[in-house]
Amino acid sequence: MQTIPTVDTDKFNLAQTLEDWPQAGEGFAVPYSLFTEQEAYTAEQERIFRGETWSFVGLEQEIPEVGDFKSTFIGETPVIVMRDEEGGVNVVVNRCAHRGAKVCRSLRGNVPNLECVYHSWAYNLKGDLIGVPFRRGLKGNGGMPKDFDMKQHSLQSLRVEIFNGLVFASFSSSVADLETYLGPMASAAIRRIFNRPIKILGDERQRIFGNWKLYSENTRDPYHASLLHMFHTTFGLYRSTQTGVSKMDDNRCHAMLTAKAGSSSAEADAEAYANQRAFNSEFTLQDPSLLKGKLEFEDEVTLVILALFPNLVVQQIANTLAVRQIVTYGPKEFELVWTSFGYVDDDTEMQGVRIKQNNLIGPAGLISMEDGEAVELVQDGIQSDQNNVSYIGMGGGRSEDADHLVTEGTIIGFWEFYRNIMSGERKV
Amino acid sequence: MSSKILLCKTDEVSDSAPLNVNVEGFPSLAVYEFEGDYFATDNLCTHGNAMLTDGYQEGEEIECPFHGGAFNIKTGEPTAFPCQIAIKSYPVTVENNEIYLVNA
Repeated sequence: MQTIPTVDTDKFNLAQTLEDWPQAGEGFAVPYSLFTEQEAYTAEQERIFRGETWSFVGLEQEIPEVGDFKSTFIGETPVIVMRDEEGGVNVVVNRCAHRGAKVCRSLRGNVPNLECVYHSWAYNLKGDLIGVPFRRGLKGNGGMPKDFDMKQHSLQSLRVEIFNGLVFASFSSSVADLETYLGPMASAAIRRIFNRPIKILGDERQRIFGNWKLYSENTRDPYHASLLHMFHTTFGLYRSTQTGVSKMDDNRCHAMLTAKAGSSSAEADAEAYANQRAFNSEFTLQDPSLLKGKLEFEDEVTLVILALFPNLVVQQIANTLAVRQIVTYGPKEFELVWTSFGYVDDDTEMQGVRIKQNNLIGPAGLISMEDGEAVELVQDGIQSDQNNVSYIGMGGGRSEDADHLVTEGTIIGFWEFYRNIMSGERKV
Repeated sequence: MSSKILLCKTDEVSDSAPLNVNVEGFPSLAVYEFEGDYFATDNLCTHGNAMLTDGYQEGEEIECPFHGGAFNIKTGEPTAFPCQIAIKSYPVTVENNEIYLVNA
C-alpha cells in the first residue's frame, strides 16, 4: 500500500508548508492544514484576494441606473460597487475614511451619494469625500484642523474592469489587464455565455461551513460530478462517459469543464456505471418538465463549469445560467452568492424553463446542494488531522488538460498556482 | 401699504457672525452683513435640521454646520453639496441702524 508522506510539524508554519510541499509519488498531495489554519487564511486575503488578482464583484446589470449600488466582498474585505453620474462603475472599499466604519450597510439600493451613519461623512458616487459635519465648527466651536483637505480622505478606490458585463476589481496596480488575466480560454467561455444582453432572474446566498478552497477544488473536479450528483447521471445531464473536456488556462489557475448531454450511449453508460449507486435509471421525475429545455448553443454543449481564480464560477447547466461568487468568512466558512440570469430576448416560455431548472442549482439545488455537503464533509473529516495530506491522482496526477472527464488534473493546476502565488513567485 | 417688522440693530450683525432672529409669524430667520449691506433668509437648512447661523459665513455664502452644504445669503440659492433646495430670502431695509423686514 503506497504510504502517504505526512508533514510532521507540530506548530503550523505557512512558509514551510509552501516551501516543502508534500510529494506523493506520481500523485499530488495537498496539506489539510491549508483548509484549517488561520495563518494561511489571513495570508490568502493579502496575497490572493488583495494581491495580484482580479476578483469578480458583480454584473453590470445589477446596477443599471445612476446611483445604483450593491455591497459585496472581495475575500472578506467589504466593497461597494456603484454606478456614477457619468454611467461609470466604481468599486471602493466599504470603510469610512474617518474612523473605519462600514459606510454602506445595505445589500442593494439607489442613492444620490453615500453617507456614513456614524458621523454623517458624505461621499459621492466615485467615493470622493464631499461632506464633513462641523468641518468649520459649530457656533464657532470645534471644527477640523486648518490643514484638513477633503481630497485626502476619499474612500479607497480599486481598479475596475468590465468584461462582457462582468465587473471585476483589483487591489493591485501591477496585475495585468483583465482580459490578459482571464486568458483566451476563459474569455471565450465568458463571451459564449454572455453573448447578448442578459436579464437577471434572481439571487440566492448559500453559507457553507468549509474552507473556500474546497469549493475551488469542487468546481474543478469532473471526477465527482457523475458520482456524487446522482441527479446528473440518473437523468443524463452529465455522465463521465459523455464527450467533454477539462481544460485550464496557461497559468492553470482558471479551469473549464464541459460536457454534452446525450453524447453517451445507454450501453456505454450501463457498462461504465454497472454497479454505481449513482446510475439507477429506475428513477423517474414526477414532473419531467423540470428538464424540458432546449439546446441553446450551437456547440451543443449542455454543461459548462468555468472556475475563475480566485472567486468566481460561471456556469451553464442545461438551460440554467448563473454566476457564483465566493465570499470568505474565515478558514472554515464561506458564502456562495448565486445570481441566475437569462437573456433579454428570452420569450416567457424560455424564461420559465430557466426559472424551473433553477431547482438544479443554488443552496438546495438538486445538483448543487451536494457540493455544499461534500465541502463540509471534508472540513469535518480533516478537523484534527492538519498534519495529513490529500491524494489527488485521477487522470495521472499531473496538471494537464484532458479531452475527457475522468481526471483531477484541473484541481492540481489550481494548487500549483496557489502555491506559487502564495509564495509570492507568481505574476500574471 | 407694506409694513416693516423690526429684526435687530445693525451692530448686532457682522459678516463673521450672522444673527438668528425670531419674529412673530415667521420661521426662525438669519440676518447677515456683507460689505455694509444686510440680508435675511430662513435660518433652517433645507437639507437637514441645522441652524445656518450655527455655521460659517464666508463672504456671500453661509455654510451649514452639519454637512458643509452652503447657500448664497443674497438669493438663498444652494451653492454647495448636499444642499439642493433654496432657502427663502426676505427683502430688508435699514433705518437709523435698525434692520427691518419689508413685509410686502
